[in-house]
Amino acid sequence: MRFQSLLMIALVASPAFAQKDVQWTLAQSTLSYHMSHPMHEVDGTSHAARGKGTCHAGLCDILIAVPVKSFDSGDTNRDLHMLETTRGAQFPMVVVRAHFPQSQTTESTIYADLEVQFAGQAAHYQHVPFQRADQGHQVHISGEIPATCSDFKIDRPSFLTVPIKNEIPIKVDMIWQTN
Amino acid sequence: MMRKATLRQAKLLLLGSALLCFAVLPAGAQSDASSSVQKQEGSIPSQPPQKSQTEQLPSAPAPAQSSGEPSLSDLGFTAQQTSPDLKLQAVLEKRTEMLRIHQKLGLITAAPMMAALITGPMAKAKGKNGQPITEPSQANLDFHAALGGTTAALYFTTAYFAIRAPRIPGTHKHGGIRFHEALAFIHGPGMILTPILGIMAYNQESSGEKVHGIASAHGPVAVVTAAAYGASIVAVSWPIHWKFWEKQ
Repeated sequence: MRFQSLLMIALVASPAFAQKDVQWTLAQSTLSYHMSHPMHEVDGTSHAARGKGTCHAGLCDILIAVPVKSFDSGDTNRDLHMLETTRGAQFPMVVVRAHFPQSQTTESTIYADLEVQFAGQAAHYQHVPFQRADQGHQVHISGEIPATCSDFKIDRPSFLTVPIKNEIPIKVDMIWQTN
Repeated sequence: MMRKATLRQAKLLLLGSALLCFAVLPAGAQSDASSSVQKQEGSIPSQPPQKSQTEQLPSAPAPAQSSGEPSLSDLGFTAQQTSPDLKLQAVLEKRTEMLRIHQKLGLITAAPMMAALITGPMAKAKGKNGQPITEPSQANLDFHAALGGTTAALYFTTAYFAIRAPRIPGTHKHGGIRFHEALAFIHGPGMILTPILGIMAYNQESSGEKVHGIASAHGPVAVVTAAAYGASIVAVSWPIHWKFWEKQ
């Protein structure tokens, strides 16, 4: 009798344990890559990213895309050179797909598995930490993607015969809101 | 005995049903459970970001991986923004190639330009007008003239690669490149004037006269031209991280 009661409770309560489906939209974003050379420190920034996400069946899938040519380093010549080096006309979008458990959406740090499509290559990064903070009805996400030129088979540009550093970390600062 | 066996069978049946219910629960509840276990173990937070692999993609943007995931078309980008432009890529590559040559030749040009500036005073006539000029020697004059000629030849070749590099439509120039181009309006005419004035000065000195008239502006014009040229190199390299020996 007791066993049957427990089973009944389990059956009735089971849907309550399932997490709700949630849809997210990127409200604001600042993405910036950092390029380092012995004589230069340059940041290229874009505010043109768009993103959507769904949390379904306990897993969140996020898609963010940004045009390569929207990155502004403060110098047109450098930006055009970046566009050429990264094959930005042939592959005009940087596409990032992130996956993480829905349970992390309430925590201060989200560890996401990322697939970054850029310059005709797709690189995968696992357990990339992002800081999460609530801002009213919105969520502020910030972090850094540890990208490198070699991940995307980008020939490193050089100045005075010295190439830039292989590391081109991408800083991410985003505001997301639920639909 | 029979009753006990029936009861056991009923219990097994119920347990099987319960397991079945758990199996068809939303996957979220299960993955949450598993992820929370990992968190408790601290395995995820302690792991640094890891790269797994890189793969080559076709030119067209990739579709969504499964039906539940958002796709690129959901984001509202226009087809023009997302479709590849191979013609533009070819133009960009040609532009970069020409500007790379422009950059190399520009830096090479700076060497004879500096040497011409240094040898300039050595090619200047000394003494009063009307008196026989003993200095500079013909060798000094010729050396300075050769340096000036080399500088001019390299300069105009360098300029050719910048002028003939393809323009990218819809680009609004900003940043150091604007100063770089604006300074060309100083060193460009300067590089035309300097050799002309130099030839005039050379002819005057060769005929035993001290440089006079407009030819006497050869030196100042050359200095202004070289200064604008140097500033032009700095402008396109800006911002310069001077302490390059320090670790970042």
